This record gives sequence, C-alpha cells and structure tokens, in this order.
Amino acid sequence: MSRARASKGRIVPREAGAAPLDIVIGIMAFLAALALGASLLAERASLSWQAGLADRLTVQILPPERGSAAPMLDAETEAVLAILRRTDGIAYAAPVSREESLALVKPWLGADALVAELPLPRLIDAKIIPGMSVNVPQLARELKAAAPHSLLDDHSHWAGRLKGLADGVRYSAYAILLLIAVATTATVSFATRAGLEAHHDIVELLHQMGATAGFIARAFERHYFVSTVLASLVGAIVAAALFLAAGGLEFAGFEAVPFLPPLSLNANELVWLAAVPAVSGLIAWATARLSVLAALRRIY
Amino acid sequence: MPQVFAQMREALSHAGPPLWSPPMVRFENVGMRYGPGPEVLRDVTFALEAGSFTFLTGPSGAGKTTLLKLMYLGEPPSRGLITLFGHDLATAKRAQFPAIRRRIGVVFQDFRLLPHLTAYENVALPLRITGIAEGDYKQDVEELLAWVGLGGRMKALPATLSGGEQQRVAIARAVVGRPDLLIADEPTGNVDPDIGDRLIRLFAELNRLGTTVLIATHDRALLERVKAREMRLVDGRLVELGMANR
Repeated sequence: MSRARASKGRIVPREAGAAPLDIVIGIMAFLAALALGASLLAERASLSWQAGLADRLTVQILPPERGSAAPMLDAETEAVLAILRRTDGIAYAAPVSREESLALVKPWLGADALVAELPLPRLIDAKIIPGMSVNVPQLARELKAAAPHSLLDDHSHWAGRLKGLADGVRYSAYAILLLIAVATTATVSFATRAGLEAHHDIVELLHQMGATAGFIARAFERHYFVSTVLASLVGAIVAAALFLAAGGLEFAGFEAVPFLPPLSLNANELVWLAAVPAVSGLIAWATARLSVLAALRRIY
Repeated sequence: MPQVFAQMREALSHAGPPLWSPPMVRFENVGMRYGPGPEVLRDVTFALEAGSFTFLTGPSGAGKTTLLKLMYLGEPPSRGLITLFGHDLATAKRAQFPAIRRRIGVVFQDFRLLPHLTAYENVALPLRITGIAEGDYKQDVEELLAWVGLGGRMKALPATLSGGEQQRVAIARAVVGRPDLLIADEPTGNVDPDIGDRLIRLFAELNRLGTTVLIATHDRALLERVKAREMRLVDGRLVELGMANR
C-alpha cells in the first residue's frame, strides 16, 4: 500500500509519463538560470570596467624625435605634476616609474636589453577625488602650454568602447534570457495543459460533486506549482553549481581570459537564480488556474 | 446502521413537520437530444416529492441514464423545465449550481472512482469538497465503509477491488454527505444478493431519514424488496407511473 500512502490527500495524481516533462522543465530552468547568470556577469563586468576607468587620468609625455630626451622629459614631467597637484578635484598625481613602464610593454616587446634602451614616454597617473569632476579640455590646454609634448588621456574613448562591448554582451544575455523565458513559459504551459487534459475526468467528477471552481482550480494549481518548482529548482541548482565551480577553478589559479571579470557569481547574484524556479512555478500556477477555470466554463 | 445516520434520526425526531414541502424534483415537458441526433427523452413530465422513494425502470436505451444525468445537472435539457429544490435550472445562476449539486448524491453506473485514491479517500471526497476537516469525518467514513462490508479494505485502491466492492465504495461516497436527493444508476448490478439486500436497506434507511431516493434499475427483484413508486421509460417517454411492490 505504499502507493496509496504516497497519494494520500492528493486529489490530482502525479500522471504517468510526467518524468520527461519534468526533465524538459528542469533543462529549460537550467538554461534560463545560465542566461540569467551570464547577464548578471555582463552587467558586473560593464560596471567594473567603467568604474575602473572613470576616475583615472593618464598624462603621457612623448620623447622628442631627436636629441636628448631625458632632460626634456624630466622638465615636462615636473611641470605636469605641478599643474595636476594644484588642480581642484585631483586626489593625487604621481609619475609611473621606468620599471613599471617597462613592465607594461613587456607582454608586447619582451624584456631584453634593447627594449631597455627604447625612448619610452613618461607616464603620470592621476586619480580624481570620488564625486568630483575635472574640466578635462581646459586641463589639457594648460598641460599643453606648460609641457608641449604632453598628452592627456581621460580614458573616455577606451571606456566608451568598453561600455559598448559590455552593453552588447549584457543586452545579448538579456535577449537570450528573454528567449529562454518564453520557451520555458511555453514548455511549462504546455506541460500543465497536457496534464489537465489527462485529468479531465477528475475535473468533471469534482464539478459533479459540487466542488466550486475555486476548489478545483486550487487542487490543480497546487499540483502543477509544486511539480514545476521542484523540477526547475533542480535546473537552477545545477546552474548555480556550475557558476560556483567556475569560481573554484579561478580560485585554484585557472584564469579563464585575462582582464575579463571572473565567471563566478557572488552570493547576492546567486540569490537571483532562485527567481527561475519561482517564476516557473508562477507560470505553472497561472496556467493551471486559467486552464481549469476555462474548462469549467465549458462544462454545464 | 452507521452512527452518521443515527445522528440524523435523532436530529429529525426533534424537528417539527415542514410548513410547506414543494416537489423536490419537477420535470415539465423535458426533451433531450445529443447534437443533431434524435431525441432520447421526449416530453418527460413528473415530480418527485420530498422524502419519496422511486424506481426508474425501462429497457436498455430507453433514456434512464440520460434522465438521471439531467437530474444531477450533468447536462442541460434541450427543452422543457427542470426544477430542483425549488430552483428553476433555466434561470438559476451558475454560482448556485455547486450548492445544488452538493445536495445530490450520485451512484454512477460506471462508479467513477478516482483510481489513485484509496476506498477511504474516495468516500471522503464529497466531505473534503465541502471543507470539512478530516478529524470531523474520519469516524463517519470508516463506519459507512464497514456498513457496506468494506471495513477491511479501506486502504485498498479501486484497481484492487472487485466490481461489487467498487460499486459499494461508489454508494458509500454518494450517501456520506447525507444528500437530500440520492440518484443511483443500477446500484446493485454487480453485487451478490446479500450485499444487494444490505444496500437496499441502506437506501431505505436514508429514505426514512428524509432523503429522496431515485434508483434506476433493470432488476425486477429489487422492486419487490421496497414499497416504492415506479416510473417506466420506454423509447424516451415516461409511459407508466404506479406503485412497485404491489
């Protein structure tokens, strides 16, 4: 009698052949959770790239094409530093050491002796006080007047391109999420309607016994809400495990792509994945309710 | 006799006679056809008084099941007037139908038990529908199942029950809510004579307690056991009215 005990209290039985539909719902929920996680990663990447560049200024002092560079570079560096340090909104300004500059070009040019002799531009790194702004065009003019070989870069061009890239990734992830959400909705709705068709005799019997439309709808919506939430919860948990595994790999030293943000979701972002089973359950609930009420309207 | 009916009897003994008792069921010139087919019921007119016991007889295909279906609100008639418990079904609001249906107990010819529920759960279903807590009906359901000879099969699923046992579960389910009107379609068709006697006594006891009973049957022997009115259907027409057990 274990079967009888298992079904105690359940007016709507678990239909035979429901497992494949549960698997499909679970897979759709897994894909939806992946797309949601990817959109969260893209959003975080976009924000971090922009934040990393938004409050930085870099001044380059280019070496002269001929003649001795060092005295001119020293003089113009001092002049630029003096201007930057008295400009409102600049938190600090400091020259990048030659060792640091060589380290920056090392990935492209190597580190042999010839490279050490190259006339590298002097770099001055400046940081803007958070919340304050600097009149970049005016500052550039001042710097040009004091140091003719200087070039002020506020990274707006690079930041704009990065933002475009990040927005592209983000909107693509949203579009994929939307498509998967539509597919998940259709799947859950189809599964629910198919189940209801199979249980039409139960609807009729309950109706005949005097059950109200609300009672019958509740019996079915609870059934499909629970089974859909359980199936999609499994899909979302597998997706969350994948994101956590990606985080574990990065922690162990496997960097996916240099300078791209990590592929792991943080705790706050993982909580968002719970929206997938919740929304799937709501779709099943609403579909079951509307389908039962529509079926009852067709019965005398 | 189950305690549930003894309680009803006790309650009725303190009640005075009804001030006015309109017919519980009234059919006037009722016709019924399915789709474009011929009429399966034609100009059927009758009334069932509250507290009456009636047999509906007639050959197969005469329209007995269709007449019962109209009475338990399974289908609307193609024409004519049906009044149940004083409600004209043509003008009653749909929102009133569930309450009307709850006053009717139906024993279907094909039982219509839910296969995933045990005998106990099937019998308890009408009470669950009305929102009664299990603690308030458990004893009644168990007593009723014992009365129909299924005290030891309460946890059995319908698939493991014989046809007669399923029929008794269906009967227990129909009467457990103490309906005002009990409609049964061939309720003793699959049971042995002893159980049939017991079921008829159950119907008669319910009838004595005030339930209006209508039984459709082929079984002439059944008519000998209860003094009751007989309505006979032939080719969709109600052709004979009289007292059975004459």
